[in-house]
Order: sequence, then structure tokens, then C-alpha cells
Amino acid sequence: MKNILFALFIFFTTYSQAQEKYTLNGTIKDAASNETLYGVNILFPDLNTGTTSNEYGFYSIKLPAGDHRMLVSFIGYSEVKLEITINSNDTRNIELLESSEALEEVVISQNIEGLDIFTPEMSVNKLDINTIQKIPVVFGEVDIVKSLLLLPGVSNAGEGSSGFNVRGGAVDQNLILLDEATIYNSSHLFGLFSVFNPDAIKNLKLYKGGIPAKYGGRVSSVLEIYQKDGNSKNFKANGGIGLISSRLLLEGPIIKDKGSFLVGGRGSYAHLFLKLTDNPNVAYFYDLNTKLSYRLNDNNTLLFSGYFGRDVFNLNESFKNTYGNAVFNLRWNHVLTNNIFTNLSVIYSDYYYGLTLDFVEFNWNSGIKNLNMKYDFNHYLNENISLDYGIQNTYYEFNPGEIEPSNPGSGINYFELTKKYAFENAVYFSMEHTISTRLSAEYGLRYSSFFRLGQKELNVYENDQPVVFNEDFGIYEEADPIGITSLSKGKVERSFGNLEPRIAVAYNFNDYQSVKASYNRMSQYLHLITNTSSPTPLDVWAPSGKYIEPQVLDQIAIGYFQNFRNKPYSLEIESFYKIIENRLDYIDGANLVANNAIEQVVLSGEARAYGLEILFRKNAGKFTGWLAYTLSKTEQKTAGRTPVETGINNGGWYNTNFDKPHDLSITAGYELSKKWQFNANFAYQTGLPTTFPTGQYVFENLTIPVYSLRNSNRLPAYHRLDISATYYPNLKKKKAYTSSWNFGIYNLYNRQNAVSYTFRKNQDSGLNEAVRLSLFGIIPSVTYNFKF
Amino acid sequence: MEVRHRVFINNQPMKSFLKIFSLLIITVFLGCEEVVQVDLEESEPRLVVDASLLRDKENPSSMQTIRLTTTAPFFEERSIPATDAIVLVRDSSGREYVFDEIESGYYRNNNLYLNFDTTYELEILYEGELYTATETLIPVASLENVEQNTGGGFSGDNIELKVFYTDPVDERNYYLFRFLRDDLSLQIYDDEFTNGNRTFAYFSDEDLSSGDEVRFEVQGMSRRFYEYIFILRSQAGTAGGPFQTQPTTVRGNVINTTNPKNYALGYFRVAETDHLNYTLE
Repeated sequence: MKNILFALFIFFTTYSQAQEKYTLNGTIKDAASNETLYGVNILFPDLNTGTTSNEYGFYSIKLPAGDHRMLVSFIGYSEVKLEITINSNDTRNIELLESSEALEEVVISQNIEGLDIFTPEMSVNKLDINTIQKIPVVFGEVDIVKSLLLLPGVSNAGEGSSGFNVRGGAVDQNLILLDEATIYNSSHLFGLFSVFNPDAIKNLKLYKGGIPAKYGGRVSSVLEIYQKDGNSKNFKANGGIGLISSRLLLEGPIIKDKGSFLVGGRGSYAHLFLKLTDNPNVAYFYDLNTKLSYRLNDNNTLLFSGYFGRDVFNLNESFKNTYGNAVFNLRWNHVLTNNIFTNLSVIYSDYYYGLTLDFVEFNWNSGIKNLNMKYDFNHYLNENISLDYGIQNTYYEFNPGEIEPSNPGSGINYFELTKKYAFENAVYFSMEHTISTRLSAEYGLRYSSFFRLGQKELNVYENDQPVVFNEDFGIYEEADPIGITSLSKGKVERSFGNLEPRIAVAYNFNDYQSVKASYNRMSQYLHLITNTSSPTPLDVWAPSGKYIEPQVLDQIAIGYFQNFRNKPYSLEIESFYKIIENRLDYIDGANLVANNAIEQVVLSGEARAYGLEILFRKNAGKFTGWLAYTLSKTEQKTAGRTPVETGINNGGWYNTNFDKPHDLSITAGYELSKKWQFNANFAYQTGLPTTFPTGQYVFENLTIPVYSLRNSNRLPAYHRLDISATYYPNLKKKKAYTSSWNFGIYNLYNRQNAVSYTFRKNQDSGLNEAVRLSLFGIIPSVTYNFKF
Repeated sequence: MEVRHRVFINNQPMKSFLKIFSLLIITVFLGCEEVVQVDLEESEPRLVVDASLLRDKENPSSMQTIRLTTTAPFFEERSIPATDAIVLVRDSSGREYVFDEIESGYYRNNNLYLNFDTTYELEILYEGELYTATETLIPVASLENVEQNTGGGFSGDNIELKVFYTDPVDERNYYLFRFLRDDLSLQIYDDEFTNGNRTFAYFSDEDLSSGDEVRFEVQGMSRRFYEYIFILRSQAGTAGGPFQTQPTTVRGNVINTTNPKNYALGYFRVAETDHLNYTLE
């Protein structure tokens, strides 16, 4: 494996030396803040070649000697045209001016083509942070994840549910990276808000398919979010005051043009939803984003990022609950040679869940920690080939939970669920290859491996079967362990390895239309143990091991992409099919909370999803917006292991909890004047699958519903319309302090969308009834934002 | 004969208290509930067995009652009795106790004293199909005393009652607590985190007041019955919202030997029970 890579490397290196060319490289930055810009297009129209800047703003390209025209363009920024002369290797750092800040007469043209039709990259959702900030949202809280839900292929399991689902994947199958560090729970307040402070975010990108070999460890998607570096020119502050929370972000130079800091805080108000009582109840969240960056010279930059977020509930001191993520990341960007950019990251990431229940006298702690090191290379070999390769290594410590008595007189014994440890490693290599002006491709290969380390107590079962089938009763049951083994955590209990090929191809018919296709295989070694419709903060992550196999996905996608000639419209149509092996399913009545032997309640099944996505956008002008429609199906199945076993749900395919065949959203913005901006969005989705009772009986005085097959019924369709208006009162040129008011109405026509139907006995009348639970009716909001 | 109880099924504390609060936050503080009309499909009726043979620690009785019903459409008001069944219990020495139908769907025997170290087999012949189940008598710890405090519940001013018992250290124990006032409240506990300790079952209700007479009952359970009632509890309709678990039809321990696919619902169990009456201060 390594020899092949080395041979390839030698081959390409010698191949490139045969060319008589020079390298131009540099960093592309925002002129006002020195913030590096990711995804900037750099074109040499006369040479028919070009490149884009990487996530740290770096670009490098091989050019023949001579005079060339160079075009640098980026959405939201004024295009820069340069005449350059190349007669040796050269470094050029380029500064771009935001379109809104540029003087009108200087604006030559604005980048209106939203879509990159030439590169093999497909199945990617990108949203500009400025766009996100204008979309109307519940309670007026700008929310990255909620905005992504308006794009095709992204959905969630209803209002108030945690996380998001990409192309029929489960919530735990999304790799969420904040400054390259893994975030385990993306939700505050059980899914009402996401954990990302929009002010601190530079850009985000969601890969739904065609996922580059650089990424792995989750099978459905990668949400890549980069925080701002901080303004290294001027001190800036911005913030907002809303109905639910307030935000403040400060950034500025430590050493002008070299070092900068950024500190952003956000907190919701206590007593948030609890104002109905006079009791000392508290529910709130807060998060803190920090960043330090220091540019030593053109070739070396150090970046430190931190994120810390917590949700806190305290009900009358008898129930106290705290949970959240913490991540720290130290990165070193180093330009190794003029065409090799490297990034070394050391990342610590932690998810904690803690609970105190005073009246039953115990404390509960659980969580997951990891330490991650990775070294990534971007190698710009020549004008047709660029390579990405690197190594990644992660150490995990899983704490599924410990219970301790909360006072000396408590009747609770101390109990610790067995801690688990693992290593996950990967090497990857991928090549983006411009084969001709029409055809380009990206080939990648990733080899991932997972070493589950020894733990204190591991159950041993007859025939290695932790779940047995009781033929008499036709049900699955927990097997009784026949013994217990222990292994030191310095030893490997079980290891896995997977080769993950990735291929993407683009063919452009002309400058405006292209078709693309991709295939990727991915593997996932961690499983979020949850059997509710939406994950809860208490759910624990379980590593693959003796009894749990890694999930493996195969996905193919094809798409058609078009920018309309000289018009600010773009169209994307994609179709995908994916299948995931070893998706865990839970036996009926599985109790997952504080379960020290999860293997006794899970069976390995499969999941599949397929669909069609359409996105039509208008990218520029007074009127902007998009129409997104997804037609899809997502199912899972767990068949019996032997002909006698029934499997789960009689071994048939059944709809996942988040299957929504039709999902339509329309988002529109209209800029009436410099002072007034209006936005609206409309969403329509098929109702979520659910299971209705088909009968009832009485046992021990309890009324028990009888159910037939899983998820064979549906809630009513979900739809709503939101509107908002943004007002900029003091918009005068050169004024230091600017502010804006955002007025919004969520769910304008007050649709009572069903989150669930509960079938129960009315405690007063004694009669059975169906009760619809809905969360958000019409919600007006107002937010004040400021910047100076 | 039929007493309509208001039934609460509380979660077994250690494990499920952990989870119930997620649900609480979202539904209580944000949710809006409304009764709606839903058209439901109807499944074929099945036999439902509610057979608990009990032996009180202080005052063992020989009168045992078994109730048989069939499943009914969900919005049906009354349960449908299963009549004209032949019901008998056979102990491991081969003695048979025939249960006579004393009222539609209620079957009784007056001579069945329960003993430890004896296996009891239930046989029901209903509509030409034979159903069987086998159990032994499960012992239970005695109820010792009741502690009364104020400061219970989320509001902090409810009366809370703790009924104490001492868990035997040698084996896994499962407890079914019944708290009777005007209504009946059920709780289930296991000793995973309290093994061998003197511990308590916890009750709190905003309607409790001084002078109320309440009754606590505890019954021993097998692990299988504990798991069975644990699932029933999650199905009994207190759940809802994004954190509900996948609903499922729960199988008990009664097997249809004639036609296994037409399985019966419900459970046959044999349990020791203890009780304690208490007047609130």
C-alpha cells in the first residue's frame, strides 16, 4: 500500500519536473480583516487553467513563463483582475474587497455564478453566512443547521428533534467538524437550536456524497465548519440581542497584520421556558468560541481554536442536568515547498453529560473524549493534477456512565459502567485530475483501521451470541453471559480495517452545463446507541468491537449542473442511491439507559436510501433565493439470522423515523432598499412515519395498545410559512457603528404541525383518545444586531 | 365487580428518571396538546390472559382469580370478556385446580394455596386452541416502614412518601409496587444499583393531604416479568414527542400450543406479596 503511494509520488514528481514551468502561490485574504478566504476561484483565461484556494486561503499553480491575465473571484466579493509576469517562482498574496464595502464605481463585476460546474465536486451544500443570517427562523435565532434543512437532501425528525439527517442517513452518521474537531452533539435545548454561534463562523460546507478521501469515520455526510480567524487589522465587535439569547463577539489584532484573536460568547436567558412557575427553575445554554492566530511568515501560521458549550437545567435543585461539547485544536499551517501546503492538527474533543437527581439520591456522569492528531498535505503537482494525502490518528475514551450516591445516606451503590478505549487510524490519498478542458476527475483511496482496546469486563456468550431468539414466545431476548473476560487496555481486543475507494468525475458540455457522477465507500466505527425518534443528549456512543461490527456505506450519485448564461440562475439535479451494512437495530423493549451490555439488545441490520434532489437558485440581484425539492425513500431492515428467527419487524424493510418522501422548501429574499430587506421561506414535507395502535387490551388495570408493523402509518403533512424583515437604520458611509433590526414571524398561518400522536387513556373520562402534540405555533420575534 | 382505577405507571427510577426529563422539558414547557380524530386499522382479536396468583406474607389466601379478555378496537370503551374457556392450574405434584367462570371473563378457584419450590402450569382451552404457561412462586422482601416528608415533586411542596424495604444481597430482585389511594399507581424497581441495601420506593402526588389513608403493596417478580412490564409501561401511553421509543406489541409468557401464530397477550405469574397501610400525618 505505502509502496504504491511512494511509486505514484515519484512518478508524478519526475513527471512534473519535465515541465518548464514556474510556481505561483500565495494566500487570499479579505482586505478589511485579513481573514483568509476558502474556495476563491483563481482563473487564467488565456491559459484555460485555474485553481481554487484551500480552507486556509492558500493557492498554488504551475504556469508557463510569460505575461498572463489573472482573475480572482469569490461570491460576495468584487472580482480582481491582474496582469502578471511570470519568469521565476513567485508568491502573491491577494486581498479581496467585499462587494458591499467596495465603492460603487470600482465594482467591475460581481461573481454571479453560484455553481462550480467544472470540478468533480458534487453533492455539496454551501451556504453563505450572510445568506443564513437573513433566513427567518424560530425565535429569531440565526441557526446554521436549521438553514441547512432548507436545502435538498437534508431533513430532521420533526420540530424539536436533535441533529439532522442527510440523504436518509441517521443523525449519528454525520461527521461534524468545527475547525477540524469533531462535535458529538450539534444541538442545544434538545434540538431547538444548534451549537454554532453564527457570528463566529467563516464558512460551512456540507458533503452529502462524493465525499473526499480526506474525510471518514461517519458514513452519511460531513459538515465542515470553519471559525473566523479574527481581524488582524482592526478591533471589531458585533453582537445581537434576541428574545431567547444574546451574543457578543470581539476580534482584533494582537500584532497588526500578524496575530489576531477572536472571542465570541452566546447565552440564552435563564428561566427560558419555565416562567410559568415561581420556583427556582433554570434552563439555559451558553457557548464560547475562541480563536488565536499568528502568522509567523508567508510559510508558517499557527492557529488555536476552542469551543465550549453547555446546556444547563436545574429544576428546583432536585434535578440538575448539564451537558455539552468542548473542543481545542492547535494547528500549524506550513508551506513545505511552493506547491505543497501542509497542516498539522492536534485536537482534543470532549462530550459530557451529567445529571443529579436529588430525590432518588444519585449523580450520573457519562461522556466521550478523544485525542486526535492529523497531518494533511495539499500538493499542487502541476496545472492538471493536485494531490491530497495525509494521516490521521484518534484515541478514544468512552465513559458510558457512572452512578454515585449523592449523599452518604443514599441507598444507591456506586456503579461504573465499563469504560471502553479505542484507536482509529487512517491514511488517505486522493488526486484531482483535469484530464481535458471537458473532463476532470477525482480519485481517492482511504484505508481506515480501528483497534478496540481491552477493557475491564467483557461478557462472553455461548456461540458469541449476546442476543438469543426465544422460539416459544417468538421474541429476541438478552442472552445470559457464560463468563467474563478482562483485557488490559494496552492490548487490542479486536481490530478492523476497511479500504474506502472514492471516485468522482465531471464532464462539462460547455461553460455552462455539466454532468457529474461519484461513488464512495465509507466506514463508521462508532455507533450512537439510541432507539428514540430523535437522539437525546443522554445517548451514549459505543465503539465497534467483539459484538458490534462497523457500518459500511456504498453510495453512488449522478447529477446535472447548469449555470444560466449571463444570468444569475443555477440548477442542480442529483440522484443518489446508498446502502449501509451493519446498521444497528434494537430488539423490542430494549432498555438502553445505563446498560452495561448493549450488545445484548442490538441486532445488526441494513439501511438503504435513494432519491432525487433538485435545487434551483437565483444568486444575485435584488431578488434572491432558491427552490429545493427532494423526493426520497429511506428504510431499514433487520432480518433473522437463521430461518427460525423472525428478525425485527418480521424481517421486512420499514421506514426509518425520519423518512419524508416529499420535502419542498422555497426561500426568497428581496432587497427593497438599502434600509429594508425582506425574506420568506415556505416548507412542505410528507408527515413523518409513526406507528398507530390497531387494538387494545387491559392488563393489571393498564390499558395497553396493540401495534402491527413499525412505522406503517404517517403523521399529517408538515408545512409552514415564515417571514422576516431586516431594517438597517443608520446606514451611512464610513460610519463606525452599524446596527440592524430583524423582525420575524415563524409559522405565519399558525399551522399546528404534529410532532407526534400519543394514544392513551384519558385519566378523567377513562376513555381512549388520540392526542396530537405540536410544538411551535405562530411565533413573532425581534432581534437587534450591532457591529462596530 | 370491576373497579375503575386511575393508573399511573411510574418509571423505575434509576434508569428511566434519566430519560424521562428530556421528554418533560420539551412537552411540558413548549408543547401544545390537542385531542384529535384518527382512523385506525383494526387487528384480529387475540386472547389476553391476566393471571396473577398471589400469596400474602401475613395472610395467605386460597382464593385465586384469573381474568380472560380479548383485544378490542382501540377506541372501544369496554374490554371484551373471553367466555366459556376451560381454565386450570396444575402444580408439579400433578394436582389440578379447575377455575370456574364466576362472571363473564372471570375465572376462580378457592382451594389453591401457593407454595415455594413448586411449579405451576396454567392451561386454557379457548375456542378450540390450547394455551399454556409455567411459573414458580417468586418471593419478596417485607415492607418495613413509611417515611413522610414535604418537598417532593418539581414544585417542591408536594408530600412525598418513601416506603422502605431491605433488598436481599444474594440474588437479583425485582419489585412491583402498588400504591393505592383513590387510584392505583404502579412502580417497578430492580436492585441493580441498590443490591443488599435498605432502600425505598418513592411516591409523590400533589393531591396527597394529611389524614389520607393509603396502602402500599409489593410483589416479587421474575426477571422476565419485570422486562415485560417495563415494556408495557413504555407502551401505556405516557410517552410522545421526539423521544418516544418504537412502539411494539409485547409478548408475555403464554404460548398457544395449537396455533403458535395466534399467540395470546398478557402474563401468567405467581408471586409473594406484602402490604402496609399508612395514614398521612
